[in-house]
Amino acid sequence: MSKQVPETIKKQVKRSFNSKEVKKEKNEKRMKLLKEIQSKAFKRAEKYEKEYLEQDQKLVELKQKALKEGSFYREPEPKLAFIIRIRGIVGVPPKPRKILQLLRLRRIYSGVFIRLNKSSLRMLHFIDPYVTWGYPDVETVRALIYKRGHARVNHQRKIIDSNEMIYDKLQKYDIVCMEDLVHEIYTVGKNFKHANSFLWAFKLKPPVGGFSTVKKSFVNKGEHGNREQYINTLVKKMI
Amino acid sequence: MTTQQLRPIVSVFPIKGKVKTIKQVPLPSVFSAPIRPDVVRFVHTNMAKNNRQAHAVSTTAGEQTSATSWGTGRAVARIPRVKGSGTGRSGQAAFGNMCRGGRMYAPKKVWRKWHRKINTNQKRYAVCSAIAATAVTPLVMSRGHRVNKLPELPLVVSDQLQSLTKTRQAVKFLKFIGAYRDVEKVIRTKKTRVGQGKYRNRRHVLRKGPMVVYARNLGIKKAFRNIPGVETASVYTLNLLKLAPGSQMGRFIIWTESAFKLLEDIYGSWEKPSKFKSGFYLPRPVMVNTDVERIIKSDQVQTVLRNRRPRSRKYGKKIQRADPYEDMSVMLKLNPYYKTKLQKQKELEEKNKEERKEIVDKSRKEYEDWLYFSEEEEEEEEEGSDEDREIEVLSDEN
Repeated sequence: MSKQVPETIKKQVKRSFNSKEVKKEKNEKRMKLLKEIQSKAFKRAEKYEKEYLEQDQKLVELKQKALKEGSFYREPEPKLAFIIRIRGIVGVPPKPRKILQLLRLRRIYSGVFIRLNKSSLRMLHFIDPYVTWGYPDVETVRALIYKRGHARVNHQRKIIDSNEMIYDKLQKYDIVCMEDLVHEIYTVGKNFKHANSFLWAFKLKPPVGGFSTVKKSFVNKGEHGNREQYINTLVKKMI
Repeated sequence: MTTQQLRPIVSVFPIKGKVKTIKQVPLPSVFSAPIRPDVVRFVHTNMAKNNRQAHAVSTTAGEQTSATSWGTGRAVARIPRVKGSGTGRSGQAAFGNMCRGGRMYAPKKVWRKWHRKINTNQKRYAVCSAIAATAVTPLVMSRGHRVNKLPELPLVVSDQLQSLTKTRQAVKFLKFIGAYRDVEKVIRTKKTRVGQGKYRNRRHVLRKGPMVVYARNLGIKKAFRNIPGVETASVYTLNLLKLAPGSQMGRFIIWTESAFKLLEDIYGSWEKPSKFKSGFYLPRPVMVNTDVERIIKSDQVQTVLRNRRPRSRKYGKKIQRADPYEDMSVMLKLNPYYKTKLQKQKELEEKNKEERKEIVDKSRKEYEDWLYFSEEEEEEEEEGSDEDREIEVLSDEN
């Protein structure tokens, strides 16, 4: 006696959008895409390594040249800053509070990238006592995005665990992998805004070894305000 | 509702002889009315209030004193006290509901609203529901009727039943048809009422047995009158309080054939109105087809549904991932160039190391040579004046 399969089940299987064949096809497509993404990622990472190296060398070259000529080389002003909020949420006046909200610095030890221009510098001026900021180098940007990088997907904060995630969201801006993202952020490219907003605000740990005093500015042996390249050492302690 | 309703067939049984189908009649539309226990409960609770008699406490009860409060300053409560002296009653508290011999709180009045008006349609809805429930065996059984031995539910019997005159005949019929078990139950469980009703002319409590519904009373009423638990009713005047005693649907009903057929005329159907209740159509159920699973699985529905979305991770569910700087596989998933990069760095380091080693070796050799040479010179020269050696001196001129 053969097993009788109910008619409804038969119809269901026939109708099923998740049938084996369909799933297989979908999977194959996806695998192909992933391969493409990974190969692109490899090539682009290589390209960017060269680019960063060239940039550094160029800078050195220009400086040396200037020294030879007896003049000075004025480095281009930094385009990128990394801001870390170092004060809590209690007792913050409305203007700095609003600016911190706009910059997505809603809790202590949260960090964001920001491009530096006249408007953003003015904003930073208002929130100086509540944050410390500086100019991150490539390795800092990399470490932040790799180790603490979370994406904003579907209004949710999800850790970036594959290039597919980045591809899905930022493919239209020609950002398909981690290194693309790092490059876009570090060099403040055309699509910096989209790359930055793809990233959730970084949640850092309190610094190993602690702060001296947050109440004073960095310039006065405290911690808040602009600390230029020393942001890199701080991020290492907080990441 | 506008489609032709396929009505099942019900067998008609004789009142004696052999229990077998002598005729078949279609099931009246009433039995397809929606079974709404909520409606029945509402109507029943209100209808049951309608046979109440007014009762109240005497208007003068507890007020027949001229008691006055003694006021303050006499070390007693300020409740009104009976005037006078010479009797135990004097000085006793009066009037209050808390006082002995005082009137009650809010004395009951006869003008309390004893009866309830119920919308006619609601009443009819409830009756339709109750009648429909009498054909549902599980409901009848759960009400407590003993219906195991019945040939069929609903139980329809030939019109000869209406002509019975003797109780003996009626009992014989009940035994014949298998309904006597229910009557036996009633007899067995006749008890003295619990409570004060027992000396208020409501001494015994009986269960409800079968109900016999007829179209014409040709003696049936009297035949069944004295059988404990059995009630008779004309099909024209079916009472909800009897159809769903205690608002519990599923009374065991024995229908006569003509009564059963009349149900179609009395309660109508969804297409045809009732002949006796003006403008009344059978109540419509909210869902025509209650087999929801079947509806969802049907072709008509399934072909119109969109694709099932891939199972997305629940809101807030965290994905664990190792630190890419500690776990190489995670790093390579994100940056497949990383390994190559490390290799290149290593190669560069080694190359630099070698270069540096060369330079260091070279300079060390030079230094050692210079040292060796200077020692030899010292040995050769006896005087070893410093002035002879050519030493480069950094001067301001240079």
